[in-house]
Amino acid sequence: MMHRLWANPFFQVLVCALFGTASEVFLKLGAAETAHLPSALPWLGLTGLESKWIWVGIVLTVISFVSWMQAISVLPLSVAFTLSNMVHVLVPLSCWMFLGEAINATRWAGIALVVTGLIVIAKPFARIDERL
Amino acid sequence: MNAFTLILIVISLATFVAGQLLLKSSLNNAAAPPPGRWITSRRAGLFVAGILGMTISFFLNIGLLQKLDLSFLFPFQGLSVIIVTLCACVFLRERLTVPLVAGALLIAAGVMCVSASGG
Repeated sequence: MMHRLWANPFFQVLVCALFGTASEVFLKLGAAETAHLPSALPWLGLTGLESKWIWVGIVLTVISFVSWMQAISVLPLSVAFTLSNMVHVLVPLSCWMFLGEAINATRWAGIALVVTGLIVIAKPFARIDERL
Repeated sequence: MNAFTLILIVISLATFVAGQLLLKSSLNNAAAPPPGRWITSRRAGLFVAGILGMTISFFLNIGLLQKLDLSFLFPFQGLSVIIVTLCACVFLRERLTVPLVAGALLIAAGVMCVSASGG
């Protein structure tokens, strides 16, 4: 049964989103840590590589990417990618929980809209699974 | 947020979308290797190009992150929801269903609210 769950492309999208969220938080930590460092090409963000957090973020990005490739090898890109945008709920919430960034009313409204959109897209697929 | 920042965000978005499309097309049947071979140069080429696009976008993002709030900046990627969905329909000939379009628009609107609420 675990193998069936692992092989499910929608589960892979979830795994991708979770690791993606974690990676974004670590990348921001690393970027904040290295923002003051001088660089010849500042907008490329290469000084970020001097931070341990960035490297953790990179590893998490790689794991997220592996599940992403699993997911899109089965699902159409438009479906997989749109669902993967659940990160837009997970990231602001994580920033609020772990980085102390504030979420105001407009942002909450945005999160609500994203969640609604995800439900609208995912519902037809849930029905298909139920019939099976 | 000035014009230069905006241009960088646009480039980061464009390379991201291109990268996603290239990765997906590398996995499509059109690029599939014939039986007996594990890979074709077409599949490998598309894959590498996709990685390149994603890498450029990745580093531009880090650079932007150094200057701006994460929960403000990150949702600009959300514009890519619409762009990727449309481009997937145009270039990869995927089907657009009503729930998919409706959901994509809701998500894009939500993402824009989240990015607009930042600083």
